[in-house]
Amino acid sequence: MVENSNQMLSSRLSSFIREMLGDSSGIMALAGLTILIIFILMALFAPIIAPYSPVQPSGNPLSPPSWHHIMGTDNMGYDVFSRFIYGSRMALTIASVATLIAAGIGIPLGLVVGYFGGAVDRVITMIMDSVYTFPGLILAIAIAAVLGPGIINISLSIAVVYIPTYYRVIRSQVASVKNELYVESAYSIGAKTSTIIFKYILPNVLPSIIVVLSMNIADAIMTEAGLSFLGLGITPPTPDWGYDLANGQQFLISNDWWMAFFPGVAIILIVLGFSMFAEGLNEYFNPNIGEKR
Amino acid sequence: MKSYILTRIGLSIPMILIILTIVFFVLRVLPGNPVLAMLGPKAPPSVVKAMEHQMGLDKPILVQYVDYLKNIAKGDFGHSTVTGMPVLKELMQKFPATLELTIFSMVVAVFIGIFYGTIAAYKLGSPIDISARIYSIFVYSFPVFWFGLMLQLIFGVWLHWLPVSGESSPFMTPDPIHTGIYILDAIINGQWDVLKDSLEHLILPSLTLGIVISSIFVRMVRANVVLTLSQQFVVAARARGVKEKTVLFKHALKNALPPILTIMGLQFALLLGGAVLTEVTFSWPGIGSYLVNRIHSRDFAAIQGTIVFFAIFVAIISILVDVINAWINPRVRY
Repeated sequence: MVENSNQMLSSRLSSFIREMLGDSSGIMALAGLTILIIFILMALFAPIIAPYSPVQPSGNPLSPPSWHHIMGTDNMGYDVFSRFIYGSRMALTIASVATLIAAGIGIPLGLVVGYFGGAVDRVITMIMDSVYTFPGLILAIAIAAVLGPGIINISLSIAVVYIPTYYRVIRSQVASVKNELYVESAYSIGAKTSTIIFKYILPNVLPSIIVVLSMNIADAIMTEAGLSFLGLGITPPTPDWGYDLANGQQFLISNDWWMAFFPGVAIILIVLGFSMFAEGLNEYFNPNIGEKR
Repeated sequence: MKSYILTRIGLSIPMILIILTIVFFVLRVLPGNPVLAMLGPKAPPSVVKAMEHQMGLDKPILVQYVDYLKNIAKGDFGHSTVTGMPVLKELMQKFPATLELTIFSMVVAVFIGIFYGTIAAYKLGSPIDISARIYSIFVYSFPVFWFGLMLQLIFGVWLHWLPVSGESSPFMTPDPIHTGIYILDAIINGQWDVLKDSLEHLILPSLTLGIVISSIFVRMVRANVVLTLSQQFVVAARARGVKEKTVLFKHALKNALPPILTIMGLQFALLLGGAVLTEVTFSWPGIGSYLVNRIHSRDFAAIQGTIVFFAIFVAIISILVDVINAWINPRVRY
């Protein structure tokens, strides 16, 4: 019996992977996932991968890329490649904390409000819509300006902006799922409301949660980079791509391009990873949105 | 149509109120005293008290809130603690530069979005289509400030073709100033050398922001045109022997436009966020640069005023988009 189910699981898994690979959206999701795994490994093993300390001079200031410093050094003599590696820690930490806070508030709120509906629904939806239509970066800038620097503060500023994203997706999904027959039958056999919401409705909106989560981390990384580019992020010299980019701007005129170029490449790659993963999954889960033939 | 416009304006008032309320409570209630932030932590308590009184911060929070809403309704956004000038007046001086940048970026984004997106949809599955999909996902992940710096590096530092910062060269501002939008003022005055200078300064910032935003437009136009191309009226037009170019641009694209316009209106918020970063990257003297400067000098009246200004600006744009939409598509009106 156990063997049988194990076999079934492995054959299901392999057919899932085969299905993913046989399809452009599947390849996209897997490519995105590969990029993400590389960045996560980079963040975890930064001290092993990075050739130098990211916060101690390791060569002459402003040396162009060479064998000793493959991405050159910055104005303080720090190794740009080491800061590239360590920067992934800040980006991933802040983006995940911010996403967890936003999802932790937005998802339960969307589930409960969407299930019950009524006047509370209309009020909360209006508030969420107002925040959603306001330029997110500008709101985050204002909150970050008040809260000041620090990992938690920056994550909070970003989280506030993205709560409505979760709320809106989950609420509309719940509103459409709650009239399905299986919800009605659960209700009619006397299931508790919390059971209905978390056991019957939540699993059915899970695919969209994963897609939104992944897209949202990409946006959060972009927002974090924007905030630290504007000088609202982490206190230097902690390695941070947005800060390093801003720092590199003043040396661009003298053609010391590597300081600004490489942190930007890091941001592009990690954002690309998350959005390809999200895009691929989205097409895989909802194949009928006209993107696919 | 008139009643539609009025309803639409009425609907946007609660939205503005909600943003104003959030901004107020974020700036007042969150930990971090604005007076201490301004004067520094070592300021003597008597000075702090006096400053709080002057700013009305010693009143009950609800009284402060009502005062704040009343003042905004009267067009009083408070006075900058750095310059002592009314914030609204300072914002109105900076606004034309931001408007100029956002309009030109939007033109770039719409132009690329419509053409690239339509052609990709028409040649579905071809190399052009694949390139459009790669473009939209790749360019979307460009941080706008990084892209701006790279364009500065290529066209300013390496090629010396274009200026990399500011809105104009010294002594090249239009005179007299009518609208504050340099391009327009230079045309009105007939100062062609000033026009050329302003355009040269505008090219890189508006390409930066426009290209990044176009990534979303390409994908959206493509998806919508793919949908309309599969409709019966397209088959019917082709059966009648209508030229392919006409089918594509007159029949398919035109019917795909209303949803495209709605989404483009929604992207305007993203455009404004990008504009703040682009302005800082290019030292463009608009509201975004103003906001960031005032954050560094801890001018809370100016920060609050700027956010309020953005909230109203976004609301006006979304009303405009909806009205234009209702005008080209009568089914929307209710």
